[in-house]
Amino acid sequence: MKGAELVLKVLQQQGVDTIFGYPGGAIMPIYDAIYHSTVKHYLCRHEQGGAFSAIGYARASGKVGVCLATSGPGATNLITSLADALLDSVPLVAITGQVSQAVMGTDAFQEVDVLGLSLGVTKHSFMVRDVNELAHTLHEAFRLAQSGRPGPVLVDIPKDIQLAEVSEPEWPTLPTARLATSLANAAKARQLIAQAKKPIAYIGGGVQMADALPQLQAFLAESEMPSVTTLKGMGSVARANPHYLGMLGMHGTQAANLAVQQSDLLICFGARFDDRVTGKLDKFAPHAKVIHVDIDPAEINKVRFADCALLGDMKQILPAISTATQCADWLAHCQQLKQQYGWRYDHPGERIFAPLMLKQLSERMPDNSVVCCDVGQHQMWVAQHMRFNSPRNHLSSGGLGTMGFGLPAAIGAKLARPQDTVIAVSGDGSFMMNVQELGTIKRFRLPVKIVIIDNQRLGMVKQWQQLFFNERYSETDLSDNPDFVALAAAFAIPGHTITRKDEVASALEAMFSWPGPYLLHVRIDEKDNVWPLVPPGAANEDMLTETN
Amino acid sequence: MQHTLNITTRNEASVVERLLQVTRYRGYQLAGLAMTPLTDRAGLQITLTVQSEKPITLLTSQLVKLYDVQQLELASADVAVLRA
Repeated sequence: MKGAELVLKVLQQQGVDTIFGYPGGAIMPIYDAIYHSTVKHYLCRHEQGGAFSAIGYARASGKVGVCLATSGPGATNLITSLADALLDSVPLVAITGQVSQAVMGTDAFQEVDVLGLSLGVTKHSFMVRDVNELAHTLHEAFRLAQSGRPGPVLVDIPKDIQLAEVSEPEWPTLPTARLATSLANAAKARQLIAQAKKPIAYIGGGVQMADALPQLQAFLAESEMPSVTTLKGMGSVARANPHYLGMLGMHGTQAANLAVQQSDLLICFGARFDDRVTGKLDKFAPHAKVIHVDIDPAEINKVRFADCALLGDMKQILPAISTATQCADWLAHCQQLKQQYGWRYDHPGERIFAPLMLKQLSERMPDNSVVCCDVGQHQMWVAQHMRFNSPRNHLSSGGLGTMGFGLPAAIGAKLARPQDTVIAVSGDGSFMMNVQELGTIKRFRLPVKIVIIDNQRLGMVKQWQQLFFNERYSETDLSDNPDFVALAAAFAIPGHTITRKDEVASALEAMFSWPGPYLLHVRIDEKDNVWPLVPPGAANEDMLTETN
Repeated sequence: MQHTLNITTRNEASVVERLLQVTRYRGYQLAGLAMTPLTDRAGLQITLTVQSEKPITLLTSQLVKLYDVQQLELASADVAVLRA
């Protein structure tokens, strides 16, 4: 067989049945092999869209996402998506075609040093120089993408390798990823928890990635401590848990931020003290000792000193440190914070109030729906006002904050979980970043629901201009947006525009009852901002609210 | 403060770039670099000297994650300082 056919063979051996990509000169032999393959290829309309679809597929399913691109511009178009997958720890294998080895290094047509470009945005990258190493390299890429802290791996395959004859190798025996878990500090952790008067669990995306949600619920039930989550951790805590305080950080709930600031013990599960979480670092949880549980040793003490660190498999660590606490007063205090600073939806006027609309969407959407966001104000409103029962149901570009993520991620999520409703919630700025993927939805008749929250502005940037740049609204006006409903219609996707609160319920009903893809265009007031907000350089207790 | 790292890696074409990329990105200044192929040529012995006020463990914990890095040790003088 040819090297190109071997690529498809390895994908099948890895259990891959869905891949995303875009063909071009240097990857044509692989596309020729796809022509007869049972692996289903989804043609996207831009390599970035294809890679985000692979990321959405991976995040919604827990499997490895796979994307393909050609050399040169095809490969460079992947870079943003690789960075997104690296910062959000998503298992992704990207396969790129490369010019033939005979002309490599000569600035050949569509030649770019993708291996060099990939260094800062991948967990690892391979260049295949010998067709006899092709199968082993691809298997190793899959192993690496999933092992330890997951991440993106790129395999660059020159065209002559794709065309070279190779005998079908046996499935190589790769070293099993050893997940060394140390429980040496478990006793110390239990002691810290038992002694704490104001403990709080700070939960990131790593708990779901470790498949440790049941162990987390058991830990929270036994310890009876309040909990907060990061953007990626949302959905980790069972909806029924009465002590969950919401998301913490720059746009977190006031209850979550105040409780963390007042805590005397912070137990960090699979999170990394991101600056959007901590605010001013030296004022973050200033009275708290820290227990840090993670799979990546490099995260320990990277940003915040850990008084006690436990490394390895969260499924083993959570039960090992589970301890009852005696902190009834603290729980009562946190409940009081939750009640005092609950969300209010009594927004005056007839215009649609996005937080209320998203709350209605959350209540109306079928159970186990997947919501894919873009980046900006709507992203924070989704995190604040929608509820999820699994992090796999809330796909948001957390670390990189990539506008244009939502629509292609929704395509991947829908293909991963065709039985579940998938909703892309986007802003008018973000939506235009990968709008070409409407073509992918049309081609494959994917029943993705699209909600565009349109304030005709780059809303989050505009909000910061208003608050911190003396209302100099530099380049954030998008009032010349296209007619989004007409745009959707051009892709045979029906849609509807709403502007008033009293239209929301029936519009959501129409969207969900329509069997195919649908675009709901929601016009909101450009003056609406995201509250609360921790200003840059401030401590998390110094939140700005609409009233101050 | 200056630190010297003795690193054994696979003999891959991009390995020095990877080490230098992580060193630069994590905010450590390169102060010295030497590289010798191991006798079987399957690996490289790299001596990397960096300058920074940051704790050296913030760099070593990132470098040991690199796929091509097989072993990493701080030079004995650094180990003595860390233990002090």
